[in-house]
Amino acid sequence: MDNFLKKITKDVDLSFAILLSFCVYVFFAINIEVFFSHNISFAILERFAVLGLVGLALTICIIAGEIDLSIGSNAALCAVIVVKLTDPLGAPLAMIIGLSVSTLIGATQGFVIAFIRIRAIVITVGTLMLLRGVALLIAEEKTVMLTDFRVPDFITTKVLMYFSPASLTVILIFICVGIFMRYTKYGREIYAIGGARKEALTAGIPLRRPMIIAFALSGFCAGFAGTVIGLKSGTAQGLGLQYLLLAGTVAAFVGGVSILGGKGGVLGAAIGALTVNFLNTGLVFYALQVHFVQLFTSVLLVIVIVFQTMSRVFDSRQARKSLLATIDERKTSLLEKKRSALGR
Amino acid sequence: MSAIIENNQLPFSAKFLQFYKDRTLLAILLSLFAVMFIYGIFFTENYLTITNFKAIIRDAALYGIMAIGLTFVTLSGNFFLLSLKETASICGVTFAMGMATGFGSPDLAGNFLVSLLAALAVGVVSGVIQGYFVGMGGNPIVVTLGGAGILYGIGAWWSDNLVINFTRPHDAEWLGTGSFLGLPSITWSFILIAIAAEIVLRHTNFGRKVYLVGANKAAGKATGHENFSMAIIVFTICSVCCAFVAVAFVAQMDSAQSNYFSAEFGSSGDMTILVIATVMVGGNSIMGGYGSTLRTSLGAIFIAMVDNMMVLQGFNSGPRIVGVGLMIVFSIIVFGLFAKGSRAQE
Repeated sequence: MDNFLKKITKDVDLSFAILLSFCVYVFFAINIEVFFSHNISFAILERFAVLGLVGLALTICIIAGEIDLSIGSNAALCAVIVVKLTDPLGAPLAMIIGLSVSTLIGATQGFVIAFIRIRAIVITVGTLMLLRGVALLIAEEKTVMLTDFRVPDFITTKVLMYFSPASLTVILIFICVGIFMRYTKYGREIYAIGGARKEALTAGIPLRRPMIIAFALSGFCAGFAGTVIGLKSGTAQGLGLQYLLLAGTVAAFVGGVSILGGKGGVLGAAIGALTVNFLNTGLVFYALQVHFVQLFTSVLLVIVIVFQTMSRVFDSRQARKSLLATIDERKTSLLEKKRSALGR
Repeated sequence: MSAIIENNQLPFSAKFLQFYKDRTLLAILLSLFAVMFIYGIFFTENYLTITNFKAIIRDAALYGIMAIGLTFVTLSGNFFLLSLKETASICGVTFAMGMATGFGSPDLAGNFLVSLLAALAVGVVSGVIQGYFVGMGGNPIVVTLGGAGILYGIGAWWSDNLVINFTRPHDAEWLGTGSFLGLPSITWSFILIAIAAEIVLRHTNFGRKVYLVGANKAAGKATGHENFSMAIIVFTICSVCCAFVAVAFVAQMDSAQSNYFSAEFGSSGDMTILVIATVMVGGNSIMGGYGSTLRTSLGAIFIAMVDNMMVLQGFNSGPRIVGVGLMIVFSIIVFGLFAKGSRAQE
């Protein structure tokens, strides 16, 4: 029991995320009869394939202490490229080209950020617009469509009751990235430059390598999300997919990353994305308009932010109190020493 | 001390160089201006006409006013709002509701003053709430991203996602399509607001405080200027600017919808991104404490110039967005390289 409590208090944000996602799931499971069923679970996992990736992309960037605003445009660009190239080249080659383009874009952003030592929000606002323009240019300002809609069937076939190749791949990516972030030198570097950049740089960690890796990973994840969306629907638009930024941010923050960087992890991102998925899937049953979904998602984000801010304020107060207490203790002990010395 | 004495003994030419070194960013912006201008004169037809320049400034006015409001936020070190277009759209919906129905009471229908005040009040409320959360220690980007979704949701819910029309002759025509001394009233408002903002920032106590808090939060706190009240004030200023733009735009279109500013505003895509880009192209430091509204106004006119030139050359929206985006990225990188290592960066 004691151990359990310690575990919870050690990572308050992650426990809060688990609690929140559990609450959302139970709420819908009670109110909607079919919510707890094989098909809905399959649908949730299908959506997880997209949202989880975007949440993961943002989580990695936020762990590195930066935020990538261009993931929506990056995903749209990748979707346009993949859908456009599937007809002449076939799906696998098109996917490889699209994914390498978005990974390259991400890596370039990371390089520029590390080279100029600029804040990521600054450069990614610019690339948000630039990439959107490029996507429009490639799509020739039209909606790109597949001619043969049977081509992407391979990613939506059911496997093992709950999974499809898309969601299986995404889960694999999650596991790989989780191991990478947690157990390799390169992953730890990303945590280091996010949590305490000055100290990390002074300790000899290069800024360029972790920044490039973080943004390349985020670009790859965004591109993969775009690929899945594009292939599944068979269409892609240059101006589409901007809603991914909000959804991904909510997923990342519900998952317990801190905007200050260096905190959070892949498990949190997965839980956060699942929470958002539960909410979105549940709201479908109420037949609400799109703006209501956006409204509720934003409310979820605000709740999480308020909780995080409160816990941070509480933590700093607690730290201050304990600091004052130790100072008091030292003072009294010093005084006593003096007194005893004088007494002698 | 010795540095000051040396500086006083420098010859005139060196002083001149020093003057420009201090103002490198402004010099870069002005030279970019000159290059664009000369290119426009030689390679674009109908560029050098008064009508065209009026059109450029008119285009610049809409997002320029919002960008001037955003400059206060950026200067005070609170990065930027991602809820600009949503604030504008909910204020526009409020204004159109007031002009069309008078908020339920027929007596007030078409009453310009009441509608304007209601729209501004909505702007103030949304600004104060977002500023409160940011002042409490929330990250501006994330808070306003959430705020954007909520504002858009409420606006769409309230207007049922429909277009609200009101018929023409109405009291707001002078603001929407009227003109004064040959310039449209929105242009006049842009000029007046730019001058007022510059005076406020340079010559009032409040303006100096904005710079202080933005340049050094710890110093601001130590001298009694906390970011809490500052965040609320600057967010309110920014939201009111958005409300004003929304009112002018709705008065021009005679209608409002919750996604008027969302889809393709003007030509360069997203309104929010365009406004943020305007602040950055002006060369304001995103970390706060460095920049001015004059730069922002110049940035707005610069973006409008580039866009206008590409329109005159007959480009579609895709290449135009690429052009404006390239310009933004280019200017960010150039400004970043020049500010490298200086106080302006971090």
